[in-house]
Amino acid sequence: MATIAVPLGAEAEGQEADAIKRPALSEYLRWSVDHKIIGVQYGISSFLFFIIGGAMAMLIRLELWSPDLDLMVSGAAYNSLFTIHGTIMIFLFIIPMWAAFGNFVVPLQLGAKDMAFPWLNAFAFWLIPPAAVVVLLGYFVSPAEAGWTSYPPLSTIFSGDGQTLWALGAHLLGISSIMGSINFIVTIFNMRPPEMTIWRMPLLCWAVLATSIIAVMATPFLAGALTLLLLDRVAGTTFFDAAGGGDVLLWQNIFWFYSHPAVYIMVLPGMGVLSEVLSIHSRKPVFGYRMVGLSSMGIAFVGFTVWAHHMFTSLQPELRIPFMITTMIIAVPTGIKMFSWLGTIWGGKIRFTSAMLFALGFLSLFVIGGITGVMLAALPFDIHVHDTYFVVSHFHFVLFGGSVFAIYAALYHWFPKITGRMMNERLGVIHFVFTYLGFLFTFFPMHIVGMLGMPRRVAVYDARFTDWNQLISFSAFVLGFSTFIVIFNVIRSYYRGPIAGANPWRALTLEWQTTSPPPPTNFVDDPIPFEEPYGYGTAASAAYLEAVDEAFGSGAPDGRGGH
Amino acid sequence: MENSRSRGPSISPAAVVVAAVFLLVSVIGINWFTSFVPVVLPEQASAESKSVDELFYILVIIGGVVFFLIQGMLLISVIAFRARPDDHSDGPTYHGNPLLEIIWTIIPALVVVFLAVISFNIWNQNSQPKASVNMIDGHSITINVTGARYAWTHTYVTERFDPNGTQIIINSGADLHTYIGQNVDLTLQTQDVIHSYWVPAMRVKQDLLPGDPMQGGRPTALRFTPVRVEGRPYPAEYPIVCAELCGDGHGRMRGTVIVYEDESQFLEQFYEPAIHAILNPPADPVLRGEVEIQNYICNSCHILDSLGWTSTTGPTLNGIADRAGERVPGQSAEEYIATSIWNSGAFRVPGYDQQMAAFGPDVMETANIMSPEQLYSIVAYLCTQGEASDCDMENPGRAIPNAITTVFGYDVDITFGMEAEEVAEEEVAEIEESAETPAEDGEESEGSDDSA
Repeated sequence: MATIAVPLGAEAEGQEADAIKRPALSEYLRWSVDHKIIGVQYGISSFLFFIIGGAMAMLIRLELWSPDLDLMVSGAAYNSLFTIHGTIMIFLFIIPMWAAFGNFVVPLQLGAKDMAFPWLNAFAFWLIPPAAVVVLLGYFVSPAEAGWTSYPPLSTIFSGDGQTLWALGAHLLGISSIMGSINFIVTIFNMRPPEMTIWRMPLLCWAVLATSIIAVMATPFLAGALTLLLLDRVAGTTFFDAAGGGDVLLWQNIFWFYSHPAVYIMVLPGMGVLSEVLSIHSRKPVFGYRMVGLSSMGIAFVGFTVWAHHMFTSLQPELRIPFMITTMIIAVPTGIKMFSWLGTIWGGKIRFTSAMLFALGFLSLFVIGGITGVMLAALPFDIHVHDTYFVVSHFHFVLFGGSVFAIYAALYHWFPKITGRMMNERLGVIHFVFTYLGFLFTFFPMHIVGMLGMPRRVAVYDARFTDWNQLISFSAFVLGFSTFIVIFNVIRSYYRGPIAGANPWRALTLEWQTTSPPPPTNFVDDPIPFEEPYGYGTAASAAYLEAVDEAFGSGAPDGRGGH
Repeated sequence: MENSRSRGPSISPAAVVVAAVFLLVSVIGINWFTSFVPVVLPEQASAESKSVDELFYILVIIGGVVFFLIQGMLLISVIAFRARPDDHSDGPTYHGNPLLEIIWTIIPALVVVFLAVISFNIWNQNSQPKASVNMIDGHSITINVTGARYAWTHTYVTERFDPNGTQIIINSGADLHTYIGQNVDLTLQTQDVIHSYWVPAMRVKQDLLPGDPMQGGRPTALRFTPVRVEGRPYPAEYPIVCAELCGDGHGRMRGTVIVYEDESQFLEQFYEPAIHAILNPPADPVLRGEVEIQNYICNSCHILDSLGWTSTTGPTLNGIADRAGERVPGQSAEEYIATSIWNSGAFRVPGYDQQMAAFGPDVMETANIMSPEQLYSIVAYLCTQGEASDCDMENPGRAIPNAITTVFGYDVDITFGMEAEEVAEEEVAEIEESAETPAEDGEESEGSDDSA
C-alpha cells in the first residue's frame, strides 16, 4: 500500500471558491454533443414529464376519491388518463431519467472525455421531444385509452387515432433508447483508462452496462410489436385479429418480452446508484463487489425468461408453471443485491445525507416490492390478485419505491457535481420524510383493496372500498406535494447553494476527481483511477483523497455540505 | 485492519440488545401479520379459496421473515452505525465474505424452490378437471358466460325441451346461479375485446379471449366449487368483476354469483321458475318484453329510466317510441326498432361511433340468440317507451309481427300474446281471408302502411 496514485497532473490549479464555471443556461436549449449538457437535457425534460405524469396521477386519485364517476366526463376519459400517465412515467420519465444520470456520470466515472458517439448521443436525446409531442397530440384527436399495455383488440379495432399516435411515439422512444444503449455499451467497453479493468469499474457502470444490454436486446421486440399494431390499425392487416387468422395473445407475448425486461431497464440503474451512494455515504467498500456486479447481469439474463407471468390469466394453463419457476428464480440475484447493500452499510460510518436517506428508503421499500413480487409469482395466489390494485401497488413499490427513490438519491448525490453547488440538506430531509410517508400510505393500502376485490383501471368501484381509497388519495396528495419541495430545493440550490468543491462526499470514483462542474473535456489530464473504486478506510485512499483536495481545494467539509 | 478483514466488523453491545429486541418484534410481528390474512381477503366461498389462502398464509410468513430481517438490519444499521458528528473517519475496509454470500444465495434459492413446489401442488389440485360438473337435476349441462362491453351474460343450456322440441336455454343475465357443492365449469366467450371473469370470493379468474367466430370463438374455462360460508344466510351473493380493461364502462362491468344452500333450493328458487317462465311467458307481449329485454345486455350501453338503466355509451331508449317512426324514411316505428336490434349494423345514431352487437338469427353467441317471438315482445315493450308512440298501439299483435316479416322474412308465432279465444278467432279469420283471396299479400302490407 505504499504507492499513492495522484489523480491529476500538475496543471490542475486550486479553484477559487466562488468561481464555478457553469455552462450558460442557453447551452441546454441547443443541440450539443457534450455528454454533460445532454445528461442535463435528459434530466430536465424527464423531470418535466414526471411533473406532468404526476399531475395526471393526482387527477386519477381525485377521481377515485368517490366510488362514482364524477371528475371525469366518461370512463373513456379516465382510461386515457391512466394510459398517458403510465406511458409518460415509463417512456418519458424513468427510462430517459436514467439516460440523464448515465450520460452525465458514466463517462466521468470512466475518466473519458465524452461518450463514444457524441453525435448519436445528442440525436437519441432529440428524438424524445418530438416523440412526446406525438403521444400528447393524441389529446387533440381521441387519446389512447387502452392502457400502457395496449392489448388488442381494444387497441386496434376499438380505439381511435390517438392509439396510432401513441404507437408512433413509443416507436420513436424505443429508437432513442436503443441508440442511447449502444452508446453506453461501446463507451463502457472501450473508453476505460488502462488501469481500470472491468473488475475495478464503478458499480453504476456495471448497472448501466447490464441495462443497456437489456435495452438493445429487448427494445427491438417492442418495435416489432408496435409495427404489427400500427399495420393492424392503418393497413388493414390482421396480426391480432382472430377473424383474420391473427391472435390477440401474440401481442401480449411480444409486448411483455420487451416490457418485462423493461422493468429492469428502469430499476437496474437505480441499483447501481444505490451501490455508489450506500458505499460512499457509509464510508465502507461495497460488500461483495463482484457478486453485486454479476447479479446485475444475472437479473438481465433471467429477466428475459419470465415475461409470460404477466399472462397468467390468459396463457394456456400448462405453460403457466415454467414461468412461475423462472419468475421466482429472479428473486435470488435481487436478494444478493439486497443483502450485499445491508452488508455494505453494516459496521460503516453512516452519514445521513439526503442522498443516503433516499438510498435507505429504497432499501426499505424495494424489499416490500420484492416480497410481493414473489407472492405474485406464486401462480394460485396470482390468479386471485392478477389485474388488481395489488399489482398496481407491487409495481409502484418497484418503480417508485425503487426507481424514483434511487433517482432522488442520485439527484442529491450528483447535484454538486452537475452544478457545483450543494443542495440544501435540511430541505432534503423534509422532502424525504414527506415522500417516504406519502408513498407508504399511498401504495401499501392498495395491496389490501386489491386482495379484497378491487380491479385496477376502474373509475367506478364498489362503495365498500371508499374509505381505503380516500386514505390512498389523501396520501397521494401528500406525495404529490413533496415534489414541490425538491423542485424548490433544486432551483434555490442552483443559485444559492454552498459551493461544493470537487469532491464534497470524499468519494473515490473518478467523477469526483475533477472540478464541479467538470470542464468541457472533463479532466485536465488523463486521470488515474484509485486502485479500487470503493476502497475506503485505507491509508492509500486517504492519501488519494488528500491529493484531490490539494489539487482542487476542498469545498463543503466532509460531505456535510449545505448547513 | 487485518483483524477486521478476517472476522468482520465488531458489533457493539447495544446492537446485540437491539438484535434481541428485533427478534422478539419479528416473531410478534409475523404473528400479527398473519392475523390479518382473513381480514384482507374476501370470504372463502369456494374449495379453491381455502388452498389459495393457505398458500397466501405461507407467503406472508416467509415474506414476514424477509421483511423483518431486512428492515431490522436496516434499523440496527442506522442506529448503531451512524457516524458521530465529530467523526470524519472511514469505516472498516471490509470487502465481503464469500461464505456469507454463498449462504444468502443458496437459502433464498431453496426458499423459492419450496414456494414453487407448493404453488405447483395447489395449482395442480385446483385445476384438475372434476368428474361431474354443472350437475343440475341429474344432468351435466353447459353453462356459458358471455362477456360483451360492458355486461356479463350467463346462459344455461338445459336438458329440457319446450313443446316444439327446442332445447330450453335459460338466460340469467349478469347473475350466475349455483349451489354449494356444485362443480361449476364455465365456458367463457367474449363478443368483442378481452375481458377477465373474476370472482374474488372464489379466488378464480380467467380471461375471455377473442377468437375466430367462424371457428366457434376461443372458449376458455373456469372451474370452482362453492362451499358453505359459516354465518352466511343463503342464497348468498358474491360479486363478479371484470378484471381486464375493456373500455369506457370497464368499472361497471359487474355481476353476481348467487350460491344456493343446496341443489333443491337451487332448483326451487332459480331453475324451475326460470324454465316455467320460458314455457309460460306472460300473455301480454309488453309484459313479456319487459322481462326479455332484461335478459340481454342492453343495459350495458343504454339509458332507460323505466328499468333504471344509466349507461351513456349508446343512445338513450327513453322516448324511443316517439322518435322511431321518423328515423328512416319509409320505415315504420316497428320496423325501425326491430331492425335496430336484429340487424344493428343497418343504422348508426348520429353522435355515437360504437357499433352495437347484432341479435339477429345469424349470431354465433348463445347469449345474443333472440327468437322472432322474443324480438316481437321486446319491440312491443319498447313501443310503450314514449308519450305519443309512433307504433300502432291499437293493434300491436298484428303490426309488429308484420314488421318482422316484412324486414326479415320471419314468421312470428304470436299465440303467446293473446288469450286462447282470440287466437282461435284470429285463426278462423285468417283461414277465411286466405280462402277468399288466395294470393293476395296486399292485405297485410296495407295494414302495416296504415299503422305507420
